[in-house]
Amino acid sequence: MLEMNKDNTQPLEYSTEQGRMNILGFWIFIGAEIMLFGTLFASYFTLEGRTGAGPTGAEIFEISPVLAETLLLLTSSFTIGLGVHAMRLGRQKAMMTFFIITLVLGAAFLSFEVYEFIHYVHEGAGIQTSAFTSILLTTLGTHGAHVTFGLFWGIMIMIQVIKRGLTPETANKSFIFSLYWHFLDVVWIFIFSFVYLKGMM
Amino acid sequence: MKELFPIKHVMGFVFSLILTSVALLVYILDMSFALGLTILLITAFAQAALQLVVFMHAGESEDKGAIYTSVYYGIIIAVLTVFGTLLAMIWGYV
Repeated sequence: MLEMNKDNTQPLEYSTEQGRMNILGFWIFIGAEIMLFGTLFASYFTLEGRTGAGPTGAEIFEISPVLAETLLLLTSSFTIGLGVHAMRLGRQKAMMTFFIITLVLGAAFLSFEVYEFIHYVHEGAGIQTSAFTSILLTTLGTHGAHVTFGLFWGIMIMIQVIKRGLTPETANKSFIFSLYWHFLDVVWIFIFSFVYLKGMM
Repeated sequence: MKELFPIKHVMGFVFSLILTSVALLVYILDMSFALGLTILLITAFAQAALQLVVFMHAGESEDKGAIYTSVYYGIIIAVLTVFGTLLAMIWGYV
């Protein structure tokens, strides 16, 4: 990127026109993701009573793994926020540490989710059991697939930062990744509230 | 070390833990479905707003108008989809 295009009054990730547009473009993508999860929630609320011969939510949900998943994801959202803050201070090592913590928490979240899915299948609630279990596992699975994708994406970005250092490009990618990660936490809060807690009330 | 933990982020995290604990009351305490759902709606949307503003810095750049427009548009469509579906598929048949 040409030096003359750089605006030094802004954080590095906003310093080029391209970088600013990338961030705006990602926000538009997040708007589309909100609608995607909106359709999943609409389908979930429609089908949650259609349990057929299978179990209901109250019969298969367990509070402990769900609470663990919530705390892991909330904390990871906090640590990636600290990672971006460290990046803005130019503290690359601290930033990498926070990113690693974030991805480890994300991996721990996923292992709880895998445990949860195995538990459901053992309870006789597979994806084909009833309309309720289908939409439950589709909604949870779509979120889990996003987290899985985020893990690989995060690792790739860390490799780039290690190789190239903090440039307008790598800072921009890291910031956009942090937006994605925070967004996944927001989606989880809605799953936690309106799938699990509502189901166990 | 202290500069790596800005007060704004720490407070945001503490507040998000508090919101989660309040939401959890719905499970722990015995309350009516309507009251429980009201609590969940408030805590979930407050939590989302907190993440958006504190951690995602939605309003920090000069594109904030376009950013908020895009997010609000997404939220409006999602809310219409959810409540429109409930109206057509569930509430109409009670």
